[in-house]
Amino acid sequence: MHSSTLRTAPVHLTRALQHPSFTTAHSLRPCVVAKWLQSRRLTTASPRTQEVIPLRKHLKDEAKRKKAEVKRDGDVTSKKQTLDPRLDKWELTVGIEIHAELNTACKLFSSAPAEVSVGDDGGSANSRVADFDAALPGTQPQFQIATLLPALRAAIALECEVQRKSGWDRKHYFHWDQPNGYQITQYYQPFAKDGSLTLGAFDGVPAEDLNGAESITIGIKQIQMEQDTAKTMNVGSSTYHVDLNRAGMPLIEVITLPHIHSPQTAAAVVRKIQAVLKGVDACVTGMELGGLRADVNVSVRQRGTSGIGSSYSGVGGLGQRTEIKNLSSFKAVEDAIVAERDRQITVLEAGGVIEGETRGWTLGATETTRLRGKEGEVDYRYMPDADLPPLVIGSDLVQHLKTTMPMLPDAVERDLEEWHGLSRKDAKTLNEQDNGDRVEFFERTASFLLAEVGTFKSEVATTKERRKTGKLVGNWVLHELGGLLATHQRSWDDVRVTADELKDVLVCLHKNEITARAAKQILAELFQRQPAPDGPYWPSMDTRPSVEQLVDAGNLRLRPLSEDEYEKLAMQIMDANPDMVKAVREKGQKGKVMWFVGQMVRQGEEGTVEPEKAKVVIERLMGG
Amino acid sequence: MLSPQPATRQHCSRSLNPLQPQRVRNLLHNLFKDHLHGPLFGKLIAIKDNISTGPSTPSLATTAASNTLRKHASPFAATVVRLLEENGALIAGKTNCDEFGMGSHSLNSAHGPVKNAYVRGGHALSAGGSSGGSAVAVATRQCWAALGTDTGGSVRLPAAYCGIVGFKPSYGLLSRWGLLDYANSMDTVGVLSRDVPDARSLFRILNRFDEEDPTSLPPSVRARLSSANAGEESDKSVGNARSLRIGVPTDYCLEELSSPVHRAWIRTLNRLQDEGHQLVPVNLPSTKQALSAYYVLAPAEASSNLAKYDGVRYGSRLQDSPSHQEAEADKSGKGVLFSRYRGEGFGDEVKRRILLGAFALSAAAMDNYFIQAQKIRRLVQADFDRVFASPNPLHTASSLSPPKPDLAEKIADEASSPHSMRSRVDVLITPTAPTLPPTIDDVRQQDPLASYTNDVFTVPASLAGLPSISVPVPLDGVAETTGRPQSRAAYEDGGWGDVRSAGMQVIGQFGDDEIVLRMGEIIEGLQ
Repeated sequence: MHSSTLRTAPVHLTRALQHPSFTTAHSLRPCVVAKWLQSRRLTTASPRTQEVIPLRKHLKDEAKRKKAEVKRDGDVTSKKQTLDPRLDKWELTVGIEIHAELNTACKLFSSAPAEVSVGDDGGSANSRVADFDAALPGTQPQFQIATLLPALRAAIALECEVQRKSGWDRKHYFHWDQPNGYQITQYYQPFAKDGSLTLGAFDGVPAEDLNGAESITIGIKQIQMEQDTAKTMNVGSSTYHVDLNRAGMPLIEVITLPHIHSPQTAAAVVRKIQAVLKGVDACVTGMELGGLRADVNVSVRQRGTSGIGSSYSGVGGLGQRTEIKNLSSFKAVEDAIVAERDRQITVLEAGGVIEGETRGWTLGATETTRLRGKEGEVDYRYMPDADLPPLVIGSDLVQHLKTTMPMLPDAVERDLEEWHGLSRKDAKTLNEQDNGDRVEFFERTASFLLAEVGTFKSEVATTKERRKTGKLVGNWVLHELGGLLATHQRSWDDVRVTADELKDVLVCLHKNEITARAAKQILAELFQRQPAPDGPYWPSMDTRPSVEQLVDAGNLRLRPLSEDEYEKLAMQIMDANPDMVKAVREKGQKGKVMWFVGQMVRQGEEGTVEPEKAKVVIERLMGG
Repeated sequence: MLSPQPATRQHCSRSLNPLQPQRVRNLLHNLFKDHLHGPLFGKLIAIKDNISTGPSTPSLATTAASNTLRKHASPFAATVVRLLEENGALIAGKTNCDEFGMGSHSLNSAHGPVKNAYVRGGHALSAGGSSGGSAVAVATRQCWAALGTDTGGSVRLPAAYCGIVGFKPSYGLLSRWGLLDYANSMDTVGVLSRDVPDARSLFRILNRFDEEDPTSLPPSVRARLSSANAGEESDKSVGNARSLRIGVPTDYCLEELSSPVHRAWIRTLNRLQDEGHQLVPVNLPSTKQALSAYYVLAPAEASSNLAKYDGVRYGSRLQDSPSHQEAEADKSGKGVLFSRYRGEGFGDEVKRRILLGAFALSAAAMDNYFIQAQKIRRLVQADFDRVFASPNPLHTASSLSPPKPDLAEKIADEASSPHSMRSRVDVLITPTAPTLPPTIDDVRQQDPLASYTNDVFTVPASLAGLPSISVPVPLDGVAETTGRPQSRAAYEDGGWGDVRSAGMQVIGQFGDDEIVLRMGEIIEGLQ
């Protein structure tokens, strides 16, 4: 062993490593105990700060960006004129290779844990390394069958044909992050082939690509299992530290056919594959945490021609392609493709030739950069690994997994839309957050609420009621709870409001026992309180009040005013503000009515004025 | 150049020196450890230097005779070494060999060449390779037996050159955990001993399933082998054993076969016939291509297996350029860190085979070399399956897909017509090497390709993973008792004179290890 490269990181580095490695490590859903501990802040580990950009935010940002672009470039039509002519002539073709870390307990070929265990202090560098992972002389790989399960779930979710027999191959290249000098992968015989992925407008596919259809289908050429590499840390300018904890972790590589014709669709494909992989528990760590990386193959051809007749993955008639490696965000995928497409068009229009080469992209760049040309292409010298017997997967296992698969994101969202009455956008947002915990919370609350307030008169009425309560609950789970999370900068794991409590709040609201304002106040109160103790062994530190108690304590129960009292209150405010009355009556500024409503709610006693009724009264008085 | 010092210390077994205080301590430690009994109690066993010895023998490095691993102390012991120690054996030391097992004369070593105990006209003879150190250590009685490794003949050839017994079991019987890879689809741990019963007892102790080794045959397959292998019962009464059908491959009468070896082969066959065994001429037509196939496949695997020795983790990095400069230079494609280290760390033969192998696997050459060689490998296996009476146990149950139609047809054709069951055999007997050991000087003048032909008879069994043993038989006109005494003192004193035996090789069907050992013992009993 050479000590200078394999030494453990110095203390400050180790500490610096801990947080990222805690967050970047595969996180299986935290076990109940860990969750419990964390909810009580009894653990030293910081809560995961996942920078998940929800689709809603993404779409909003996109809209903002487009608006800004329009503003910058003048009106929409002139923008179109500057961009379109070239794209009318040239067609883009993209194929994507996605590498995703599998959700497993151990490495692909050793029993070293893939996961930082509870109690381990975050997992120091080179602490999860078996003899084989360090490529010690005289060691051999030992395929860990359990890693196959998440890989198979991924293959099934992406509608692949699982191969009965597949094999392991060595892909050779020298790099210090690869201790054996080769990566074990599946080159000649991958375990899954011929799948597909269907995407629609809600996934972010632009209308031009849909071409009037509801959805498009992108072919998946194959999925293969392979080893991840070690992590390199640059320490200062002259030292590299190599952490083998990631070396040998199981990955799948998903290779799409070159069926993609716009940068937006490419990003949508990556986003959707990530959602599917997470949805079936094949992967837990997304792109934002380095759990997913993409390489894209980009080519352009003149529309109606077959390019230079180049082909890959069995699709022909294409222009010369280039490969852009190691893109680690959806935005990078989209921007890199735009830049490379434009570069290729510029080269071709100037009479140039596109070289088959590997290019790189850094976020924020306007151009891709050449990494190596064809002459510098690495010859990986693929060779079957004689130490590993072929992988034989029985159809009974595949069948079993098919019947026990979790619902795919599309199905969950459809369910939220059709059964619970949510908008597709809300359904998607709800489903993409917090590893599915948020949906689960939603479903529990919605069913509790329906059980309490539903009348079950008839099939039709039930559907109507269900969608009404569904919408109500959706709104509160997404926006009200979401707002509280944002204000208090807490993660979902830290939400102390139970589904039962939210149900109680919403029952009160639904029955008009409290105003929406009061309901929000109660929710905020519950959000702040200590959680209820779990069992008899934990002495209660602070008894958590019920919703009922909070309503009473805050004197929030709606005590409806009589018609006379409403009028009296209204008149009082109108008399005090003659100018405003004038504005409404004479200038017809109907918007000002709401100002009066607000005043009534504010000046009336807490929990007595319902805005809807107040509005009716004000309007009547103004009109009269 | 040969060193003037006794080969015992310097060359054939680097760490063998009973007077070294550390060794005495180790021996005492081992003696009073928990295994005060066991079938190998107190027996000294030497270990080839490409087999890992672990923390129980802290003074022993595992270098595979390479500068890249000059100070490599394995943190774990090979399974075979652990089994030896558990059965009471004393690890005598590590033996010199060809670097990573690549060579036929044990001259390609960072520790200097191995010297055979036999000399011809004052010139030292080749000890054979690559397990030459183990063979010399056994022949000169520095140990009771030794472990070697055999990838294309590396146990059998030195056994033949040193006049001892060398046994290469079926691939997958002895654990490879802890064995430093050369060509992992053929690398096999083998046994070197003074007679066949010793080899057998050692083999039986080491013949265990090991879950650390993914190529170790699982218990289910082992059960199938032993039911087919009646050897265990009958070996006690070798003399009364039923007569065996002995295949004599006519394709082995090559030009390269020298007359003393040829005569010893014929005489052995005649005497076996006299003993009541039946001789059957057989065809192994793919033998000639087997050698070429081996020298494509083994280097290809070597180029892959030795990729890990890149200077990052093993060996000492070159001192004159700071690591970050190396790293930057590597990034810029000048390859200072990896290629310079590998250029300086490996010996010439290892570099030659890595380059051959990297070429055979390159995109442009893959189809013409690696793939063709794999096809030949299948043909060699088919050749053997066609001549052996026992079916190949690997083909019956574990074949997941039928062989390619053309090959299947070929096998079916051959199985039905020319060789009926009547002409099938229990074992094959061939010479181990085409010639007697050459002098080291002769070897040094050979071009490297010429020395590859030494492996022509041993390589086919390696390609097919078959059990095979080399047993010494006296040369014509040499009586066992003549010549100078074969003592260690005589060896250190300038050698034993010219060799008096040639190695005969017995090959059996996969899993027929006991039958091969029995035949070896019969040959041994002829003298």
